[in-house]
Amino acid sequence: MLSDITIGQYFPGNSLLHRLDPRMKLTLTLLFIVVVFLPQNWFGLLAVVAFLGGILALSHLPVKLLWRSIKPVLFLVAFTSVLNMLYVSGEGEPLLAFWVIKIYPEGIATAVFISIRIVCLIAGSSLLTYTTTPTALTDAMEYLLSPLKVVKVNAHELAMMMTIALRFIPTLMEETDKIMSAQKARGADLESGGLMQRVRALIPILIPLFVSSFRRAYELAMAMECRCYQGGEGRTRMKRLQTARRDWVALAVYVAVVVALIGLNILFGSSLK
Amino acid sequence: MATLTVDNITYTYAPGSPFEQHAIRQVSLETVPGELVGVIGHTGSGKSTLVQHLNGLLRPMEGRILLDGADIWAEPKKIRDVRFRVGMVFQYPEHQLFEDTIYKDIAFGPKNMGLDEAEIDRRVRAAAAYVGLDEALLEKSPFDLSGGEKRRAAIAGVMAMEPEILILDEPTAGLDPRGRETVLAMIEEYRRSRGTTVLLVTHSMEDVARVADRVLVMNGGRVAMLDTVEKVFSRAEELEEIGLSIPAVTKTLLLLRRQGIPVDTSVYTVEQAVQQLLPLLGGDGVC
Ligand SMILES: Nc1ncnc2c1ncn2[C@@H]1O[C@H](COP(=O)(O)OP(=O)(O)OP(=O)(O)O)[C@@H](O)[C@H]1O
Ligand SMILES: [Mg+2]
Repeated sequence: MLSDITIGQYFPGNSLLHRLDPRMKLTLTLLFIVVVFLPQNWFGLLAVVAFLGGILALSHLPVKLLWRSIKPVLFLVAFTSVLNMLYVSGEGEPLLAFWVIKIYPEGIATAVFISIRIVCLIAGSSLLTYTTTPTALTDAMEYLLSPLKVVKVNAHELAMMMTIALRFIPTLMEETDKIMSAQKARGADLESGGLMQRVRALIPILIPLFVSSFRRAYELAMAMECRCYQGGEGRTRMKRLQTARRDWVALAVYVAVVVALIGLNILFGSSLK
Repeated sequence: MATLTVDNITYTYAPGSPFEQHAIRQVSLETVPGELVGVIGHTGSGKSTLVQHLNGLLRPMEGRILLDGADIWAEPKKIRDVRFRVGMVFQYPEHQLFEDTIYKDIAFGPKNMGLDEAEIDRRVRAAAAYVGLDEALLEKSPFDLSGGEKRRAAIAGVMAMEPEILILDEPTAGLDPRGRETVLAMIEEYRRSRGTTVLLVTHSMEDVARVADRVLVMNGGRVAMLDTVEKVFSRAEELEEIGLSIPAVTKTLLLLRRQGIPVDTSVYTVEQAVQQLLPLLGGDGVC
């Protein structure tokens, strides 16, 4: 079923992470990316893993959920690992030499290092989408992008478009499901035949879907106009974003981690090739 | 004509997830060839879920669906043949129109059946006639039609497959009284002339009273009642408990009969009630 695909991965909860201001969470997530790429040695990486573990514990999310977001990038992890193993050469004897392939211990170490880094990166950034509703996220984006007004980027419109798109994804999925059922009931065959045939079989589904999307868009525009929507100018919010002390504490912790990691880099040097 | 047997089926949406929803549980039903069964129930009672099982759009998690005694899921690859024998008109079927002319759209089903040109042509014209669509409209784009005409064209698209069992999910939803009347009349006419078994999902007790032989009342995913219209209507209190009400006229007559007044409680329009009551009052139409 189409409806099994989850869009917007928000996982309801009331943990500290859930309650952080979305703007701060977005900023911290960007900062986290920096954190992940900072360490140049194993001590730093270990610190990052521990830090991530700490945030995870604070989020009260089931670990299974994280696995779900990591699974799709496993291929990437495997791919970069293989490349690293093949291309990183070491000083000593290769562990394995075969034809043009030479694998050194350093290569394996690098591969493990990079893999952990990627997994941390994905896990950490998916925490943002798991603990923040899509609407809160777009609100935060609108706020953070609003300085771009000077270069004529309308953050409000961008955010509104995103909100609407997010809002309509489940609706469109449901609609697709319904239209597919209706055409199947008339004997449409969506599952067999060659590529061309399958593409052609999509026409009876795509056309009604387009028609209804346009109808919905038109109706929505109408409804918005009826309620005097006129863009972001002078618009107030029902839910005002407000930073609390915990947000600044969180920021301070992140900054401290960044400083600590830089310290670890200076202290132990780089162990990467 | 075929017999459809629903044998104790159960279906759950999104099983095992936090959004798990037991839509229907242990539902059984057997159609009598040529009858019209009204399926009624509160919103969310599982009517649409049930009927989508009957032509194999959903596969029951427990239980079986038999068409003339044969399990329709015996050979999943042949489920399309079941869909040709059990026609299904969805709610708001006009949203499925896609061809550039009405004619081609009605022909979509018959074409999928692999019929030859002449037979397709005959069926398209016959179906258009059943739903009262003018020949001149056949060459028009579906998107140039009025809402009611679109609805009728979409219903014709299923009728053109000439199914042995026809299922309609709320075919009168969103139509004005005249439109409802037209749609009901054409369903009756189609059934009368072809002897098709019809299952009609509806929210309207008036519709049920008008056209149905039997009524299937769904409540919370289970079958609450399955009986003739008259017997079901006589259980007005139970119906009210599950959020359904019988037509006001029927209710009045039912109350009269409880008082010992010999009236026929199977009527549901004011005119019919007047005809019932006038002789009893010994009057000649002047009150
Ligand atoms: N695609 C779906 N995914 C998950 N749950 C669903 C889906 N379709 C229906 N349900 C749920 O199953 C239950 C039965 O729904 P169904 O559509 O069969 O009811 P219905 O009797 O047809 O209602 P209505 O009169 O409003 O059309 C409802 O609780 C509904 O929320
Ligand atoms: Mg329904």
